[in-house]
Amino acid sequence: MGLKISVASVAAGIFIAASTGTACADDDNAKNLDFPSAANIYTQDHRYLESGIFKPPAFLLAANEGDATKQQVDVIPAAEFRPPLISGSKVHQYLGLSTVALAGLTMLAAPENECEQSCTSQSEPRQTSGTTHTRLARATAAMAVATVVTGLIYHWDDFHLEDGFADPDNQHVMLAGAGTLLMLYAVNKSAHSSVPTSHAGIAELGAVTMLFAIKLTW
Amino acid sequence: MQTKYKVASLLSIALSVISFHALAEQDFLDWLFTFERQKNFKPVTNKQYQEECGACHFAYQPGLLPAKSWEALLNAKALRKHFGVNAELDDDTLKVIREYAVENAADKSWHKRSRKIAVATEEGPTPLRITELRYISRKHHDIPEKMIKGNKGVKSLSFCDKCHTQAELGVYDADTVNIPNYPNWND
Repeated sequence: MGLKISVASVAAGIFIAASTGTACADDDNAKNLDFPSAANIYTQDHRYLESGIFKPPAFLLAANEGDATKQQVDVIPAAEFRPPLISGSKVHQYLGLSTVALAGLTMLAAPENECEQSCTSQSEPRQTSGTTHTRLARATAAMAVATVVTGLIYHWDDFHLEDGFADPDNQHVMLAGAGTLLMLYAVNKSAHSSVPTSHAGIAELGAVTMLFAIKLTW
Repeated sequence: MQTKYKVASLLSIALSVISFHALAEQDFLDWLFTFERQKNFKPVTNKQYQEECGACHFAYQPGLLPAKSWEALLNAKALRKHFGVNAELDDDTLKVIREYAVENAADKSWHKRSRKIAVATEEGPTPLRITELRYISRKHHDIPEKMIKGNKGVKSLSFCDKCHTQAELGVYDADTVNIPNYPNWND
């Protein structure tokens, strides 16, 4: 129960932090925004018009636009730019690392008496849900799927078949996809078996495959 | 296998990896066992390269082109007509710069983006312009021309550091891009 609350709290914390980060990033952009220089010039011209010494030239609008164009150069200098705290690719990155971390925790939480080789039926019914191990396993599988989905969304233009199998991004996609499928298979195999079943090796191979996929583009 | 044996095995592997890394001499092992991020390009570390190349343009990381390109670009004859400009160097300086560029070229690097360029340029003609690389042109193809050529703050794709705010560190992530005069543009 304690672990359940803890996992839920951590997930909620990450969500809130992500939301706050996005909000902060937007605030930064908002602070850096300046009125268009054309508007400033218009305001100044407006005061000038009211002063009574103004002779309206025919090219007023064009002149204002010309000044505005000049003043628009380097509105936000590159040196002052700060990368966003949260972005799609960062979310993908954190999800991938969390998947591997959760896979490790799942392995540590595995029941001691679970058979892995000569599995025979036992007198006690096997628990396929409700334990720390099963919850962590399902969370790992879900996070692996989320990692793949965010990768496809935010890095769609990074992998191309024409680059071949030697391309690191193509290798990353293939290995991460294979790792996810292996973990999903292991979870599915164990969840639908009433007798102890060998699935740890498959799941661990999936996690290692995903770890190597991360390393390729780290 | 019991969990405690698995944990012990993992710890043993981790220790082996750490100790092996200390002894590792090969590039691949260095890459495999380092925790340092190598997603982008290796930053320029040669002072002479930085000063000589950076005197006229952004000092491009050698990992942006394969060794065959640097060999074609960095020789006395080619530098006399370096993209329309005479960029001759004395023999000693040229030797240092050429060796540094070739030793750190895309096909000698384990940094991800360099490996992508190396794989893509392994066959075919020797690329002489970074902007003509398939990988580079593909990454920039959806940026409207008005934001590059028509932008007084950029002018050309050659000026990497105008938009890539961490280009000098070899970092070209999309998150670090800030196109002058188009601060809110998103890929």
